[in-house]
Amino acid sequence: MADEQAAIRVEGLVKRFPRGVTAVAGLDLAVERGQVVGLTGPNGCGKSVTLRVLLGLVRPTAGRAFLFGEPARPGARVLGRVGALVDGPGFVPHLSGLENLRLAWRLTGRPLAEAGLDSALEVAGLGEAIDRHYRTYSHGMRYRLGLAQALLGTPDLLLLDEPTTGLDPAHIREVRSAIGGVAARGGTVLLSSHLLAEVEEVCTHAAFMREGRLVAAGSVAELTGQADSLEAAYLALSPSPLAGEG
Amino acid sequence: MIRVELSKQLRPRTFVALGALALFVVALTVALELTGAGRAEPVGDIPLLLVPTSSPFVLPIIALTSTMKFFLPLAVSVFAGEAVAGEARWGSLRYVLGRGVSRSRFLASKAAVAALLSLAAVALVPAVALAAGVAAAGWQALPAVDGTVRAVFPPAAALARLAIGTAYIGAGMTSIFAFAFFLSTVTARPLVAVAGGVGLTILSRVLNYDYLPGVAVLSPYLPNNDVDLWLHLFQQPAQTAGMLSFLVLQACYAGVFLGLAWWSFTRRDVLS
Repeated sequence: MADEQAAIRVEGLVKRFPRGVTAVAGLDLAVERGQVVGLTGPNGCGKSVTLRVLLGLVRPTAGRAFLFGEPARPGARVLGRVGALVDGPGFVPHLSGLENLRLAWRLTGRPLAEAGLDSALEVAGLGEAIDRHYRTYSHGMRYRLGLAQALLGTPDLLLLDEPTTGLDPAHIREVRSAIGGVAARGGTVLLSSHLLAEVEEVCTHAAFMREGRLVAAGSVAELTGQADSLEAAYLALSPSPLAGEG
Repeated sequence: MIRVELSKQLRPRTFVALGALALFVVALTVALELTGAGRAEPVGDIPLLLVPTSSPFVLPIIALTSTMKFFLPLAVSVFAGEAVAGEARWGSLRYVLGRGVSRSRFLASKAAVAALLSLAAVALVPAVALAAGVAAAGWQALPAVDGTVRAVFPPAAALARLAIGTAYIGAGMTSIFAFAFFLSTVTARPLVAVAGGVGLTILSRVLNYDYLPGVAVLSPYLPNNDVDLWLHLFQQPAQTAGMLSFLVLQACYAGVFLGLAWWSFTRRDVLS
């Protein structure tokens, strides 16, 4: 039964772009239901491309990706159970935040009552500004609207790319509580982050990527091991001794 | 889904574009009234001699003639070129498709909305001009002089021919539409797609054998060249030579470029 399946399963994923850039070079990754997983690694290690493959936006060169046991491909129905914020928010500039959220939800074809619009609006925390044109929003306001959009319809899986970049401390706390809220109702979260302290605080599990491959994965406690912090453990896995590993 | 896409496009810029077309028609009316309302105007290559104040149907004919080779293709290029590339530039394309919306359905909705706006632009020009014409001349028959042949079209006949001519121009925009729409699916910069549609229009004008007799062999294949043949409907008897092959040509452009758009968009990586 599909519901018994892992929230995310990635097998031997390879993505090479036409100009010879290899973004993902044989990634294996499993995220079980209910986990909050932090995906970490240097810039260009393939985190964002992996999230895009899961969303059916990028076609793998080789390998497979599954969401709840269903293949992640363009137009996959299972994407209706996924909320995402990847490479920053993207909305129609000449519509208000509220209109944008409504339009985003209408694409799913599900009734508005299932959208959980009120709790999404609470996350956005835009107050009166929700009726202003999106183009007038500040960076932080756009980000919060993006997060609210990802949380529409109480998704079973949340994919977040650098979810706290450029936010002030109060809003970082809101983002974390939103992640905690998804986890508390048994949902799954995969977030990419540069901030190991954040991963340590928010996530149950972590996965380290480098040059398109998985270097280490496990629970935060396992990965931290004897080190002082997750960050120290990550730095101990410094590039040179690992260069030959897959 | 078409309603979702339509609500994104019913925005100030769309109304500005349509308003500018309407304003152009009004300005044309005023200019004709001021300068030569009582004088016969040669229209098209026949040439057809029409007297603006004589009938309400003269203004729509002149308005369509003066917009069909540039302003209308420009409006169509804007609507078709913005369609998908605009969404990519807003950064919302990844979220629309990330919701599991079928790419084919998304593309079809975008094309439908852009086509609807394009047809609105084409229909707006004769509608505004006819309203201005009726205001200026009342509901009159249309006298037209083609060479030495003088014909008088009763209002109903003139209206029918004008409607067919408008539909013909609308269909004649298909090539530009399909090309700009195809570009819109491969670039994240709407301006590139719009410029592509306009560029094809200009190319069609430049390679016209009226200017360059040496390229006469190309002329049956140029996308915008024969869009003026509807004027021959106002000859007596109506001449329809070339109209059918022009419509077939439009269908070919549509088949090739809309097919390419679908083929590439359903396969490409969305990185915007």
